[in-house]
Amino acid sequence: MPLKTVKKDAADALTLEWILHVKRYKLALDKMRCVGCQICSLACPKEAIKIEKQPKVQGQKAKKALVDIDLEKCNFCGICDVSCPYGAIKLTLNGEHVLSVLDKESYPELIRDIKVDTHQCPKDCVECEDACPLSLIKITRVGYDGNPVEDVATLPPSQRKRVQINLDIQKEYCPTCRVCEFKCAPGAIKVRKFIEGKIAIDQKKCPDGCTDCLDVCPITGALYLSEKDNKVYVNELFCDYCGACKVVCPVDDALTLKRTKIHHTPVRSGAWNKALEKLTSPVGTVKELKAHSSQKAKETVCRRFVCEEEIR
Amino acid sequence: MSQPETPKQSENEELRIGVFICHCGLNIAGTVDIKQLVEYSKTIPDVVFVKENRYTCADPGQEEIRKGIKEHKLNRVVVAACSPRMHEPTFRRTVSEAGLNPFLYEMANIREFASWCHPSTPQEATERAKDSIKMAVAKARLMMPLQTIEVPVTNKALVVGGGIAGMNAALDLAEMGFKVYLLENTESIGGHMAALDKTFPTLDCSICIEGPKMVDCGRHPNIEIIANADLVKVDGYVGNFKVKIRKNPRYVIAERCTGCGECRDVCPIEFPNEWDMNLGTRKAISVPFDQAVPLIYTINKDYCIECYKCVDVCGAREAINFEQQPEEVDIEVGAIIVSTGFDVYLPYDMPLLGYGKYPNVITSMEFERLILAAGPTGGKVIRQSDGKKPHTIVFIQCVGSRDKNKYPYCSNFCCMYTLKHVVQLKEKYKEDIEVYVFYMDIRSPGKGYEEFYDRARQNGVNFIHGRVGRINEDPNTHNLIIRAEDQTLDLPIEVEADMVVLATAAIPKKGSDEIARILNLSRGADGFFMESHPKLKPMDAPTDGVFYAGACQGLKDIPFSVSQGSGAASRAATVISKPKWKIEPIISVVDESRCRNVTAKCGICEDKCPYGAIKIEPNKPAKVITASCHGCGTCVAECPQDAITQLHFTDAQILAQIRAALEENPEDKILAILCNWCCYAGADLAGTSRFEYPPSVRAIRVMCSGRVDRDFILEALRLGAGMVLIGACHLPYDCHYISGNYKMKARTDALKNMLTKLGMSPERFRVEYVSAAEGIHYAELIREIDEQRKALGKEKIKAENAKLRSIIENMLRRKQQK
Repeated sequence: MPLKTVKKDAADALTLEWILHVKRYKLALDKMRCVGCQICSLACPKEAIKIEKQPKVQGQKAKKALVDIDLEKCNFCGICDVSCPYGAIKLTLNGEHVLSVLDKESYPELIRDIKVDTHQCPKDCVECEDACPLSLIKITRVGYDGNPVEDVATLPPSQRKRVQINLDIQKEYCPTCRVCEFKCAPGAIKVRKFIEGKIAIDQKKCPDGCTDCLDVCPITGALYLSEKDNKVYVNELFCDYCGACKVVCPVDDALTLKRTKIHHTPVRSGAWNKALEKLTSPVGTVKELKAHSSQKAKETVCRRFVCEEEIR
Repeated sequence: MSQPETPKQSENEELRIGVFICHCGLNIAGTVDIKQLVEYSKTIPDVVFVKENRYTCADPGQEEIRKGIKEHKLNRVVVAACSPRMHEPTFRRTVSEAGLNPFLYEMANIREFASWCHPSTPQEATERAKDSIKMAVAKARLMMPLQTIEVPVTNKALVVGGGIAGMNAALDLAEMGFKVYLLENTESIGGHMAALDKTFPTLDCSICIEGPKMVDCGRHPNIEIIANADLVKVDGYVGNFKVKIRKNPRYVIAERCTGCGECRDVCPIEFPNEWDMNLGTRKAISVPFDQAVPLIYTINKDYCIECYKCVDVCGAREAINFEQQPEEVDIEVGAIIVSTGFDVYLPYDMPLLGYGKYPNVITSMEFERLILAAGPTGGKVIRQSDGKKPHTIVFIQCVGSRDKNKYPYCSNFCCMYTLKHVVQLKEKYKEDIEVYVFYMDIRSPGKGYEEFYDRARQNGVNFIHGRVGRINEDPNTHNLIIRAEDQTLDLPIEVEADMVVLATAAIPKKGSDEIARILNLSRGADGFFMESHPKLKPMDAPTDGVFYAGACQGLKDIPFSVSQGSGAASRAATVISKPKWKIEPIISVVDESRCRNVTAKCGICEDKCPYGAIKIEPNKPAKVITASCHGCGTCVAECPQDAITQLHFTDAQILAQIRAALEENPEDKILAILCNWCCYAGADLAGTSRFEYPPSVRAIRVMCSGRVDRDFILEALRLGAGMVLIGACHLPYDCHYISGNYKMKARTDALKNMLTKLGMSPERFRVEYVSAAEGIHYAELIREIDEQRKALGKEKIKAENAKLRSIIENMLRRKQQK
């Protein structure tokens, strides 16, 4: 059969396909998980992804922006899949989740650094599960006999101590907002954001009564409405710097968002440098490249003088 | 090359014109009264010798001319015989053998233009012949000796298209010792043949026999392959073409790439491989197939994400350059062989066959890639829908070919490649596979082809004589239900198959129109390039020095393409093996003292020249590039100052012919100015076909209708011509000088408007388009014009002319005063 290129736009998913006689590439955007941020469109090396702002209906909440992928431009590389903080895009080849850009080290993986020490968990605590704005955490408990425990309160105290807690986080969809970390009283969860940055709202430019950014923000608590002056403020602690708010903000420069650093697996790739420049800024890219080269220089010096111990 | 001077006739030279009148057996003498002609010719001023001959073109006749020149010191010769398109070169040779300049001879056409076309009116035919001789003598009086221009020949050739035909042409020329540029617009030479599995009827492996040829081309010291490049522009003429080629960027430096393929291994990106008919994929940096020549990797920037992994792995070789730009190169060659090949039709627009809709309907070319061991499936014939081997395969012939609504011609090789496919399937899968072929006719007229058809039938293939109506798909199994008509049984038939293979038409290569425009070629109704003569010059393009090889001229299979490649090579060698090429000196020259561009900004001639052969610099007279001038004379007619002259077709000569033609009873005559290539040839054909038409016409030959000056028409009308006709090649593409007919049309349209406004009946001045094949059309046309002339009546014409005369005289006088 000749090459068939297909684009389907359904209510819950946008799918693009290349159907060849022996191969079938499929790129699927899960519209339920997509928050309408800018990350994929910035990362796409072929500029195939467009973010379209939805028209606002008076009296209704602002709607998240829609993502559209151009079938003519898309080359099914999967960089959007790797980059999406919410794991909303999946690339498959013959039904298998294959990312050759990762295999060939042409693009880095984002490091979702989440450490959980379940020993510190109180046996009946469900704070994190409740707090996760994306409902990605599932707590399960196992009794001394290996059977799952439904309600800890029903157990006698002796058995209660021997209950093991498992915290299952669906990492591939996690934007590392740190909400769970802060809700966890004993400090059992440690999260490092994979994107670092700065976000600020210029209250002078921010129009009165507009809550568009707050409406679309996927992280509960990252933005909040002040009771004092009825304006939206930022809680930088929880912001994952995805930029969904920036996309819908009706006023230029009212909301400034800068990404400064992205934590990723080590890679040497032009495609990544370009994506990094667009995701952060030229400065961010230079910083990373400098860090990379100084690391290299250090390694070279070490090799030459065989004095690894002293320098380190 | 220096610009030839305008030759000047020495004023004190006494004219001694000899007239030789040919009987042509009874061809002329049977109708025309030769005695009258002889007597008449003797009365023409300056004619000092008249001689009649039974056959002037035969040796004794030619000897008479030579003798006449010597004995009577003739310095002009007029031969009244057949068409100059027939024997002009013969008599030119004859007079030059006698020591006379060959351009001091003129021909009067009294066979095609008198005896043959007016057999039932011998007296009128004789009158017409007399006028023809008078006109020829009038021109001869003003003729000047000219020197044939010789230009050096570039002993190199260009082959456009590196398929099997082009490769063979290039190899043959290279073996003869000529330098050959082999231009290919894809990444590798090889053409369609490199994509095939086996070849019929011997079932040789295609790449195994073509691969060594490709390698030979790549390694031959006389062949330079320019792949991944386009033909941009061709200037010049036979023997001296200047070709501009654009090398498209590969983003890989050809000289540094070793073809190791390490870059391909690290590349993360895949895209559909067009070379595999998009059945499989290739990497963003790759070669289309492993045997590619030249073996240079190419980056497809449409898909590349620029991760530079290839740069890293290429390392010290530094062969990759993302900044590469298209590069234009200029080469000079003496001959060009066009071997651009064909494309395969994809029947998306035949919905009843379901191609593109049903996953298990494929074309033969796709099947070829499936059954090929090096193909995307490793030689396994599998279905797209479920990846399983089909058990029943149906082949459908003539998809698009021999179809009045698509491509009416037969695609030549489809029957044979389908036979090859079915034999391959039967011999590979034996009883495990059921094969049906639906056909109109099985055409197997080649060496060993009919025997191959027998082999297919002996293998148990079901051949069904009938056309397929439609194909439906079972949505659950994706099997296909073929509804057809069995013409042998005269019954409708239904077959369920796992896979359907369509033998689709081969069609003219995409971009053929562009090649035709660049090289000034013409294309037939089917879209393939037109040869100069379908029987005797099957490899020659109408443009001198350009030749055809392979399927671009008409579909043909591999052995025929190879033969034609070698044939075209030998044709090209006839040009580039010569040190010099002769050009007729009928070119344009500029009278620098009259050129308006010296004092004002003019440049009309540069603008109108179809060949770009005139160059204008501010405040300098226009300059003709002699070697590029094709001698159409368009610039001569366009020049507002009459500063340009076309040698051998000067204004004075043509005006003298007009005056001679209209000396007596001008109102009864049709003055026709015909272009040499189409209308004059058409008129000749009317003569040779013995189509009779009224003898009132007096025809003058020019090389191109673009030469027709406004002054010619005005002068004819001033002299009182009854009707004026200009005969040209058909619009839009037939003009042998690219666009001379258009230039003439623009000029005469304006003139006709003006004349009509001044009171001339519009039918008295006509521009008509007659091709060399339309003798009957020419005869009808003259009949029609003569009817119109009679309908208008002599008196009305005279009255109109009287009204026009003073205005025209004013116009002509004003021009002379300038």
